[in-house]
Amino acid sequence: MRTVLQRLARQLVLVPVVAVASYFLMAMLPLTTESETKRQVSPELAASYRRDLGIGEPLGFLRPWEKLFRGERLGTSAQGITGDELVRKLSGSVGVGLMALPLALAWALGFALLRTRWRKGRWAVLGDAVPAVAFGTPVFIPALLVAPAVVERGHLLPELCAALVTSLWPGIFLGTLVGDALETELSRDYVRTALGKGLAPGAVLRRHVLPNVMPALLDAVGPVATALLAGSFAAERVLGLPYFGQLYVLAVLNKQVAVVVVATTTFASLLVVVSLGIEAVRYWVDPRSREARA
Amino acid sequence: MNAIPPRARFGFVLLVGLGLLSLVAGRLFPDWLASSCPLGVDPTRPDRTVCELAFGGLWVSLAVGLVAGALSTLIGLVVAAVARLAGGPLEQVVLRAVDAVFALPDVLVVMVLQLAGQSLSDAGLGGGLGPFGLMVVSLSLVGWAGPARMFRNRLATLEGQEFVAAARALGGGGLHVLRVHLWPALRPFALAVFLSRLPTAILTESTVSFFGIARMEPMSLGRYLGTSYAALIYEGGGRVVLPAWALLVLLVLGASLASQALSASPRKAS
Repeated sequence: MRTVLQRLARQLVLVPVVAVASYFLMAMLPLTTESETKRQVSPELAASYRRDLGIGEPLGFLRPWEKLFRGERLGTSAQGITGDELVRKLSGSVGVGLMALPLALAWALGFALLRTRWRKGRWAVLGDAVPAVAFGTPVFIPALLVAPAVVERGHLLPELCAALVTSLWPGIFLGTLVGDALETELSRDYVRTALGKGLAPGAVLRRHVLPNVMPALLDAVGPVATALLAGSFAAERVLGLPYFGQLYVLAVLNKQVAVVVVATTTFASLLVVVSLGIEAVRYWVDPRSREARA
Repeated sequence: MNAIPPRARFGFVLLVGLGLLSLVAGRLFPDWLASSCPLGVDPTRPDRTVCELAFGGLWVSLAVGLVAGALSTLIGLVVAAVARLAGGPLEQVVLRAVDAVFALPDVLVVMVLQLAGQSLSDAGLGGGLGPFGLMVVSLSLVGWAGPARMFRNRLATLEGQEFVAAARALGGGGLHVLRVHLWPALRPFALAVFLSRLPTAILTESTVSFFGIARMEPMSLGRYLGTSYAALIYEGGGRVVLPAWALLVLLVLGASLASQALSASPRKAS
């Protein structure tokens, strides 16, 4: 139990670390307004910078969160955000990520099967080239290619396309890992023994092989979830989706520093929630992790 | 050279080829490139051809990737070596810090660091760092965690081997063992780690530049794509975007293949 709590604490500590680090990084910015030649921000933005970050006040780093929970607006009137808007935008991005996850799993399964088939033939080189091309293609490239056809259509088509382009690289990455793990497990003695005793190949796969592949899959889901959420930034920007990614990029471009602090911490919290979910699933499906902890 | 796996050799050839091409076409003979470009001019910048912008961007992206990749590998190596030499609680603290940095996506942190760096530069506190230096520093500050974790694990594995135990039994100190016995075994791995950082740095820079946050001048491939993608809405706009994309994919493909092949068989590569 102690080990489980230690792992939980390691995950959770990321949130205050990111909150404090991002606050102090933003609070030290010299956003000058004094002279015309060096002016970086408008007087309204400079006023909101001091007000929202509580600069010079005791426990000033809690100020942006206080304002959010009171329902007040962070940042300027035109480009700032309230707590409700933040939650709405975040749920939009999470929705795109949730649409992308099954797509990534479908890509993964398809690619793992194809890779196993290619390995024995003249297409073996594709098993290495496809992941490299998928990795080398930033999310904004396929998004740019589909954008002219879908941006104005509505009916969730831009969201679906964002999920599709975001899922490409994580899906191929997952497929490579699962394919390798599957191949390793299939060559083990226990599989030969089970087949030799007359068990059907499907039953061997389901009862013996897949439970052993599951830990490798869970190890990969964390980075994949991060890639899906981070990839949605670019897809949202190109496809004009007004969600969290768009909010974050615009906050950085417009120097809405309080929004940057809050959005960065919120994003880190989301990643921690995903990690905790993965740990819970691992604890449930992998008896080895329970034994190791006991 | 024969000991290098074929995939790594292909990756190296691709990388060196693209580097030479960008140097010759983008830097040494830009006038020739401007006069003979079959893709014509960029509609958003009528004074420049697509070839000039794409090969110029390739040179900048490659330079950013090489310098940032080398710097983050070096920082990771130093952090891992210090952690292993210190051991105990300090090593655990360093590992937790590595986990914290590693947990956040590179793009997000680089955007925040760019905002901070640009504000400092605008206020005259940037220490002489231009957009190129600022991007390299941002990428290095984000990218050291992965190499540090890989080097630390590799060092822990190597330290368990008999030749290290023999060196220690003969009175070799920590630094001596690291310098004389571990570093030669670590060198090929360091090359693989550097090559694995190269595509990540290039892609992160491209994405941040694409958003318009980095002010890279001359333009990198990402910034070029970010400023010219509006051409896609016109007929034949693909000729503006697709060459830059193809160069970006080839660049990352070369580095990925070389890195994967060297990581899979680092001993053969030595």
